[in-house]
Amino acid sequence: MGAALERNPQLEPLITQPSEAQFSEAQPRRRDRTPVALYATLLPPLVWMTLLYFVPIAILISYSFWRLEAFDIVREFSLVNFQTIFGNTAYRTVIVRTVMTALGVTAIDAAIALPLAFFITRFGGRYHTLLTLLVILPLWSSYLVRVFAWKIILGYNGILNSALLSLGILQQPSQIFLYNQFSTTLTFVHVWLPFMILPVITAFERLPKDLLEASADLNAPPLTTFRKVALPLVTPGLLAGSINVFALTMGDFITPNLIGGPSGIMLGNVISSQFGVSYNWPLGAAFALVVMLIVFLALTVVVRRGALE
Amino acid sequence: MWHRLITAFLIGLLGLTSGMLSAQPAQAAGCTLTAIVWEGYTDASFAQKFEQETGCAIKATYAGSSDEMFAKFRTGGGRTYDLISASGDITERLYKAGLVRPIDTSKLENYDSIFSPFQKGDWNSFDGKPYGVTFAWGPNVLLYNTEKVATSPTSWDVLFDPQYAGQITIPDNPMTIADVALWLGKADPYDLTDADLAEVKDKLLELRPSIRKFWATAGELANLFQSGEVVLAHAWPLTYTQLIEADYPVGSVNPKGELTGWTDSWMISKNSRNVDAAYKWIDFILSGEGQKGVMDVTGYSGATELGVEAVGPERAKELFMDDLSLHEEIKMWQSVQNYDKWVQLWNEIRS
Repeated sequence: MGAALERNPQLEPLITQPSEAQFSEAQPRRRDRTPVALYATLLPPLVWMTLLYFVPIAILISYSFWRLEAFDIVREFSLVNFQTIFGNTAYRTVIVRTVMTALGVTAIDAAIALPLAFFITRFGGRYHTLLTLLVILPLWSSYLVRVFAWKIILGYNGILNSALLSLGILQQPSQIFLYNQFSTTLTFVHVWLPFMILPVITAFERLPKDLLEASADLNAPPLTTFRKVALPLVTPGLLAGSINVFALTMGDFITPNLIGGPSGIMLGNVISSQFGVSYNWPLGAAFALVVMLIVFLALTVVVRRGALE
Repeated sequence: MWHRLITAFLIGLLGLTSGMLSAQPAQAAGCTLTAIVWEGYTDASFAQKFEQETGCAIKATYAGSSDEMFAKFRTGGGRTYDLISASGDITERLYKAGLVRPIDTSKLENYDSIFSPFQKGDWNSFDGKPYGVTFAWGPNVLLYNTEKVATSPTSWDVLFDPQYAGQITIPDNPMTIADVALWLGKADPYDLTDADLAEVKDKLLELRPSIRKFWATAGELANLFQSGEVVLAHAWPLTYTQLIEADYPVGSVNPKGELTGWTDSWMISKNSRNVDAAYKWIDFILSGEGQKGVMDVTGYSGATELGVEAVGPERAKELFMDDLSLHEEIKMWQSVQNYDKWVQLWNEIRS
């Protein structure tokens, strides 16, 4: 490419110069004003972000390198919190469990969202908007309400148990539905599903129909068309949805607290207990940093694969 | 052009203001007291009377553990809360951190009515001066569903009965370790060596498969009973009162020699801006009306003669307020030196 440009030196001015000249001649005053408007618009959010985002993160990071001694926070640099986190099998288990749960929830949501979004965009027809709205509808109710709803459905005297009893499938209400990894995963899959479906729907909407038809015309079976044509083109949407779901699951502590099992705590619970019951803010901050690093790592992977294009 | 510029600026500003509105501090004015308390200590049923009598209101935050209470009370240099209902495990910590002020007992009309052993307890008086006003105490009890558990249990061993596996709940609080230490026969459950803690861990791991859920708030615990998830619980008497009111078949026992508990005292923040109102509140809680209110709502035992009069001798005997025999038997919550190890053990149990 560089060599091509060198061989045609006249190409460069041809592309850039006329447009720039045209712009400055035609609207000389506009160029002067644009930056002012831009800064005026950007300044308040910038102040906002600095005060409420960057400063707190800086404070959090500095806390994570301090330590707690006899109920007092010692403001000296030390790595003792990270030693505790990575040196303790219990904490390592929690990290692994949280990442696995987040990955599992993401995979299940992706598996549900793909066919659903495909159906809505291809066969939704005039109900397309309505169906999309129905996907977003749960978001209008409180997150807590949705979590509690699962508690009512899966509980010992819950809806599921009552149904199975009246159908004669069970003789006794079963305890296997609630307070374990299954109920946690199920609830996560349900409450975060809209965050996966929406970007995937958008991706399918932008998928040109004629590409699929061209693929079919060239005798590709439907599955091959999906695999070779549709999937690569909706992947950015899928990845954007995945990072949503992954990040939301990584940081959540309410669902494992309300629905999860006695030995099923996640990183969010550890963080909340360090900031709450145990008053070990440095260790809690270190855990929060670990969560952020994992999410940023996932974000990097996803962005490299073109999620935000 | 200007029009566009202004619009752009306004849009940017809008993002800022919408957040600013909610970020405005809810600053208490005049004699609105703020307090951090255990659930039930500022219940509307009696707090309303205080408001009518004095014209002062009390706004409370509920804490889930002593450490949370301490942490929240300390943030903001002790200006966030005027009052704290501190249990015996943090009173000394609050005093040492210089967060509370000595109590001027002459400002409390009802102070003399407090049972004399509670007036100069080692948990509320430091350096010869009272820093806390004790007003309530109680044990951690064993609650059971009287329909599902036929015979009234006499010891905590019932939690390990395979018959009730999967139907028990214990508090999600590292202080529960002290109870397990008592079950193991440790003399001082608040002074545990690493070896003791290892034993406690084994005992808890043995119990864990039977635990349906660790409960975090009194409300959640009552819900666990009512939805049929659990039949046995390590609980506060508060839940017993709540379940009785809800007509739930619940029984409560105090297994002998294996009880932990708490003695709660009001303490006033050193930096409080409503000191006079805080004294009024404490005086009100010591009065017959206040004591009866606390006892009725929580089921805890009161600490004043006026309280005994208000609830009558029978109820006072039920709550062991006549001879305080139970109070002496309970291993009251104390400061734990190696508390970080307790927390770590607890996280290991939960993971």
